[in-house]
Amino acid sequence: MLPLLLMLSIFMLFRGHNLPGGGFIGGLLASSAIILQMVAFGPKVARWILPVNYLIVAAFGVFFGALWGLPALFAGLPYMQAFWLPEPIPGVGKIGTPVLFDIGVYFTVIGVTTKIALLLVEEPILFPLPEMKSVPVDHQEEVA
Amino acid sequence: MLYPIVFIALVASPLALIARLPARSLIAWGLAFIPLTLFGLTLTQAGPVLAGEQVVEEISWVPALGLNLTFTLDGLSLLFALIITGIGTLIVGYAGHYLGADSGLGRFLAYLMLFMGAMLGVVLAGNVLTMFVFWELTSVTSYLLIGYKHDYPDARRGALHSLLVTGGGGLALLVGLLLLGQMVGSYEFRDILAAGDQLRAHSLYPAAVILILLGCFTKSAQIPFHFWLPGAMQAPTPASAFLHSATMVKAGVYLMARLSPALGGTALWDVTLAVVGGATMTFAAIVAMRQFDLKAMLAYTTISMLGALTMQIGLGGKYGAEGVATNILAHALYKSALFMLAGVIDHECGTRDLRRLGGLRRYMPQTMVITALALLSFGGIPIMFGFVAKELMLEAALETDLGTTFSTLAVAAIAITAIAYLITGWRLFSNTFLGQRSTAAMQQHVADPTPGMLIGPGVPAILSLFIPLVLLAPISTLIAAASAAIYGRPLEVELALWHGVNPALLVSLSAIVIGVAMFRFAEQLANMRGWPTWLRGDMIFDRLIERTLTGATVLTRTLQEGRLRRYILITALTMLIFVGIPFISFGLGTIRFDLDPQLQFYEILAAALIPIGVIATIKARTRLGAIIAVGVVGAMVALLFVIFSAPDLALTQLLIEVLSTVFLLLVFSVLPVRFESFSSVWVRQRDAIVATAVGILMGGLVLATATNDSFAPLAPFFLENSLDKGKGANVVNVILVDFRGFDTLGEITVLFIALLGIYGLLRLRQGKDDVTPERVETTATEPLSEPVDTQR
Repeated sequence: MLPLLLMLSIFMLFRGHNLPGGGFIGGLLASSAIILQMVAFGPKVARWILPVNYLIVAAFGVFFGALWGLPALFAGLPYMQAFWLPEPIPGVGKIGTPVLFDIGVYFTVIGVTTKIALLLVEEPILFPLPEMKSVPVDHQEEVA
Repeated sequence: MLYPIVFIALVASPLALIARLPARSLIAWGLAFIPLTLFGLTLTQAGPVLAGEQVVEEISWVPALGLNLTFTLDGLSLLFALIITGIGTLIVGYAGHYLGADSGLGRFLAYLMLFMGAMLGVVLAGNVLTMFVFWELTSVTSYLLIGYKHDYPDARRGALHSLLVTGGGGLALLVGLLLLGQMVGSYEFRDILAAGDQLRAHSLYPAAVILILLGCFTKSAQIPFHFWLPGAMQAPTPASAFLHSATMVKAGVYLMARLSPALGGTALWDVTLAVVGGATMTFAAIVAMRQFDLKAMLAYTTISMLGALTMQIGLGGKYGAEGVATNILAHALYKSALFMLAGVIDHECGTRDLRRLGGLRRYMPQTMVITALALLSFGGIPIMFGFVAKELMLEAALETDLGTTFSTLAVAAIAITAIAYLITGWRLFSNTFLGQRSTAAMQQHVADPTPGMLIGPGVPAILSLFIPLVLLAPISTLIAAASAAIYGRPLEVELALWHGVNPALLVSLSAIVIGVAMFRFAEQLANMRGWPTWLRGDMIFDRLIERTLTGATVLTRTLQEGRLRRYILITALTMLIFVGIPFISFGLGTIRFDLDPQLQFYEILAAALIPIGVIATIKARTRLGAIIAVGVVGAMVALLFVIFSAPDLALTQLLIEVLSTVFLLLVFSVLPVRFESFSSVWVRQRDAIVATAVGILMGGLVLATATNDSFAPLAPFFLENSLDKGKGANVVNVILVDFRGFDTLGEITVLFIALLGIYGLLRLRQGKDDVTPERVETTATEPLSEPVDTQR
């Protein structure tokens, strides 16, 4: 299920500019997919399947989104004025700064939602299960 | 050429960090070439300015705000720029000697350069908002300079006082300047200065004047805001010399002088300036006379002189303008010399307490001669530049338009101040250089410092003598250009030592006679009992800060007592008051209930399921039941979105619904399955009423928004322009990422901040080391709900 749902979410992300979808919906879809894994197999499995630090994913999203407002500044226009490539890229569609900004939204939503879920699931006060003993180790890996 | 003048100092400031290396005093003199270059650059621009023109340069910065980086050089700016860069050169070189043993010299000089750049920005700015940016930068950099010795509590206190007072005044100033800009319709100084009559007749004029004066009075240490300046002497002496003589505190005077052609001429402006300035001048002169610390003494005379400058702007007239310009220059010269000399004495003797100094004439003859020169100018003794300046001040008082009462009072105040200055100068000189060799002089080898250290105070002290003797003609041109800017019209200025026997000379001479006659009572005056300490401005301010903090703590404890329920209650009540009241008064009438005749059965069904779900949620006995009931509400809302063809919203709603159910399950899985009743009946009734009220309010708001016709609907704009300008057919998405992209950026940032908050709450608590034991304890024992009513 996970690859399928993730692909669906990316599809949603890119078709968003012309049909229902977009970064927000795509992001929610992707994080639901990951959270589904978590609910079904536990956080350890979810972390093992997609070994990324969601805090950094979220931070990257905000940064990436903000980044694409900058080109307009260099052209002397107000921040976030849109720029578009003249020709659509096959299979992806037209590419412009709003789409790239939407990708930033996508990653922020994934990062924030999934990280909150992980934090709740791995909270030892809430879930003082024996298998959770490994949390500190995970944490160290994550930092490294 | 004006941009480089402002920005070279700012950009070159990191370069000063090389002064960490050995041979620091040499490096410092090398760095002094930066301000010297700026001095030279300013001089190259002086030609047209002295001929009565202005040099203007402009780049658009934030056009939407009317904020341009305009720089203007006129007479007043020229005078200030020359003082700042000229004295800056000497200070940088001097600092290399003074702080030669201090490894932080590089950092200090970097601050100093930044500060100098900020100050140049203030005096060269041609746009009030640009000026304000630099104005605040001077507050921040002076905070760094004053707090340079940050391991001393007094230095931190002085720095904090200066920042809070000048920063607070800066806020008032900003509002005042914005009002000014609104009245004129432009933020350029030249437009504001041209709109004087319009401004004075405007109904907002008094408000703008009061706010701007608050900013100027705090910056220029006028009563009752004077107390931060003596605290600022905690800065290393080179910084004090720069702050007091040439920069920082003169910024307020500069702005008042700059705006006086536009704002002056009314009773409000003239009388306020004359009275506050006169009072500050006299009060601070008397306090200065009684100090025992060399730097404190000089600090109070600075306050006094700032008062004198303010008073002269208020007195107005031709002589007022000339007096301000001349006194600024004279004061900058002798005060920078005196501060640097105080530093020399402190450096050589290890103390600057007058009671522990004395008899230095045999050990430091060169220092003594330079000090004598600077003090003679300070005391306004004939043939020194200070005398020329004082004569003009007296002329301004005698010739003022404010009437005889003010004129007499001002002359009397100046006379008293002149006497106090003489006694101050005498005490400073006699206690340091004359009399018996003191304990401090015996303790260590005391001698004149290296010549390099004496260049700093020496140059301005000697200029104080040379200007009236040799350089009067060129300086007159400079003063003429500067006072023309203050007066608002071109002026002919002929500075002279001898004006013939006139009232000003007579007042001046009698003040000198009385002052000298009082020399023998000087120490008795100083030892008289003064004010009780609790009445001192800085003490009052400390108590004010303390009270504010206590008040803030109490307020925070009341509002943020740590229970989620209380937060929600306060938020809801605040919303009811601040949104509900205006809505009931203005918005209720716009609601219309028109029923769509084509309403379908399934639409009604979906809508009806929503309140049923809500009631089910409230009535649910188990948590799982409540979650399912909430889910029904969400699903029905999504269904309505689908019916009314908003697929994006429906998708989002569904996904959010799924995720929130998962989150709720995660949290609720550790709580008891069934709800328990902890709160009393009246608490529950109160909560029910508040919740219903908020619900009705939100419903009403949505209804009013949908049926309000007073604004053109936005939807057509987005529908028309989405494909064309936004290059997308999905209007919702185009709004999110393009038309309203900035809002979305804000939203994802908020999301991320929320994540960090949750992370902090959940994860960091696991590393118990980060949290103090009490905190963990309170979190653990904090009841989740309000106290149990055991009687029930």
